[in-house]
Amino acid sequence: MTARKQIIYWGKKALLFVLSVLVLSLAAFYVSRLAPGDPLVSYYGTRVEKMSPAERAWAEERLGLNEPISVQYVRWLARTLQGDFGISYKYKMDVTEVIAGRIGNTLLLGGAGFLLIFALSMLLGVLCAWYEDRPLDRLLCRVGTVSSCIPEFWLSLVFILVFSVTLRWLPSSGAYSVGRGDDWLDRLAHLVLPLSIVVLSHLWYYAYMVRNRILEEVRADYVLLAKAKGLTKRSVMFRHCLRNTIPSYLSIMAISVPHVLGGTYIVETVFSYPGLGTLSYESARYKDYNLLMLLCLMSGALVILCSMAAQIINERIDPRVRPQAPEVTER
Amino acid sequence: MAELLEVKNLSVSFFTPAGEVQAVRNVSFSLRPGEVLAVVGESGCGKSVLCKSIMKLLPRTARIQSGSIVVNGADITGCRERDMHRLRGKLFSMVFQDPMTALNPTMTLGAQIGEAVRVHQPGLSGGAVRQRVMELMTLVGIDRPEERMKLYPHNFSGGQRQRGVMAIALAGSPSILFADEPTTALDVTIQAQILDLLRDVQARLGTATVFVTHDLGVVARVADRVAVMYAGRIVETGTAEEIFYDPRHPYTWGLLRALPALNRGRDSLYTIPGMPPNLAHPPAGDAFACRNEYALAIDYEEEPPMFRVTDTHYAATWLLDERAPRITPPIGGAHG
Repeated sequence: MTARKQIIYWGKKALLFVLSVLVLSLAAFYVSRLAPGDPLVSYYGTRVEKMSPAERAWAEERLGLNEPISVQYVRWLARTLQGDFGISYKYKMDVTEVIAGRIGNTLLLGGAGFLLIFALSMLLGVLCAWYEDRPLDRLLCRVGTVSSCIPEFWLSLVFILVFSVTLRWLPSSGAYSVGRGDDWLDRLAHLVLPLSIVVLSHLWYYAYMVRNRILEEVRADYVLLAKAKGLTKRSVMFRHCLRNTIPSYLSIMAISVPHVLGGTYIVETVFSYPGLGTLSYESARYKDYNLLMLLCLMSGALVILCSMAAQIINERIDPRVRPQAPEVTER
Repeated sequence: MAELLEVKNLSVSFFTPAGEVQAVRNVSFSLRPGEVLAVVGESGCGKSVLCKSIMKLLPRTARIQSGSIVVNGADITGCRERDMHRLRGKLFSMVFQDPMTALNPTMTLGAQIGEAVRVHQPGLSGGAVRQRVMELMTLVGIDRPEERMKLYPHNFSGGQRQRGVMAIALAGSPSILFADEPTTALDVTIQAQILDLLRDVQARLGTATVFVTHDLGVVARVADRVAVMYAGRIVETGTAEEIFYDPRHPYTWGLLRALPALNRGRDSLYTIPGMPPNLAHPPAGDAFACRNEYALAIDYEEEPPMFRVTDTHYAATWLLDERAPRITPPIGGAHG
């Protein structure tokens, strides 16, 4: 590609990204405001119930909620573009500060979950492909399918019941015990249950994809030649088959980021883990509009970025170096 | 001379959901060093399966049911995968039908040949491997090897790729080369080139070759001996001359009569009537009987044994039994 084409290519991608985020913000803004619920509750708490209509009107005007949604949106957009995301109704402080206090927890849970899924699914996929159709593979396929079909929230409850309530091995909620925020062991203990749920509920889906992609390669004709020239099964598997699956694996894993993120949010809520997931849930439930919008934009931007990364990886896998369909010959 | 490869009563079956398919049935043949044996037959008669079963390259659904494979005096019938990879490439190697899919699309040709070189000489330095790769590429007629070894398979034409596959197959200097219809997937003009190359390389290196094909015209160009296969069995075997000038099996007659060269001046080519049998349920008696215009009553009941014609020429047809009626073959018949 020439420099000019490069600029156009990346310019298009950037434009697409900005447009997507804009559409997302519009949708999130309208949906959150049209949904039933009283935003004043999150600001004034239970006092709202005792307010007179005049007081309510004054409160709404003060929070800028009395105008049409379109006007509110334009105002919000203008403020946001200047870097002012507003204050959280509930926490009465800048939303960026609220998020800054929580984002570490989510990055820890989601990041560790993603890395574990990334490494383990490759490992499991290779293991299954190596022992294809033998007892180990069959067992893993069955267990995996069952585990990936169990909803996260239900599995979380079962884990809490078993490991926290019955066995009392692990804490059931939070990111650390009160007053022990610096204790890494304590943090780790709180991380075990949510992390295992995040990993368990996503792992098999990707492992199975890896397994099938490798088996697709194992069935390719070039494997016969590789074997015929004297390569061991291990060389064929790792130097040829696995290597050829890595580009598509990377693109799959890029798409997996949003899935894992979504799973993390659900798990956080069940475990009352103080991260962006619980924050999103609360802000959506209690109409903490400014907080909700920023959380939406952040999660959305990550999802869009990862999807675009997957798309770019896929484009880079040159179609000419993919295995071609067999040519039509006389036989 | 000692036999390099001796296959005795080999039977190979595929186990499919539809039942057992007997792809190779009771096949025996032998190969001497430096010899070219052509295995001829229709599509699906078990030619490729025969070669792949000797190299143990068949999928897990296939199993050797009986018989033995002896290479260089060593019985490899029961060899497991971990021992086979030491034999492959060195003792025997294979060229495949479709060069479009036989190469790994994401590795350069040089890397793929180099890999084959390194497997058999692990101690070789990078420079020596490069040297050997270039030698091999020159041997199979790929010009300017230094440049071309850096190219990917999709940069090559079909004929060039088949040359590359041959370079890979020859990297370990194998004693036996299985060529599984190496020209079928190529353009007609390229077919002749690849055949000439095979013959040339074979003559230069003295590699014993099993040449699988459905094209008798090709056989005449390359083979010392011919084995004609039908429905998983070898039905006639002999030297190339014997098969072409004095064929004895009605199926061989049919194959020869179907050659375009023997149909000159006629409106349409001769065809053998009917279809090959389904090997999931092979018919009783001679599998060819129902397509055979010379079939005898016994053909439908009992499979014919191999009758000796000369020391090198055998055919499995009841027509060679002394009680059979005399018939005039439609073809050949220098002695018959």
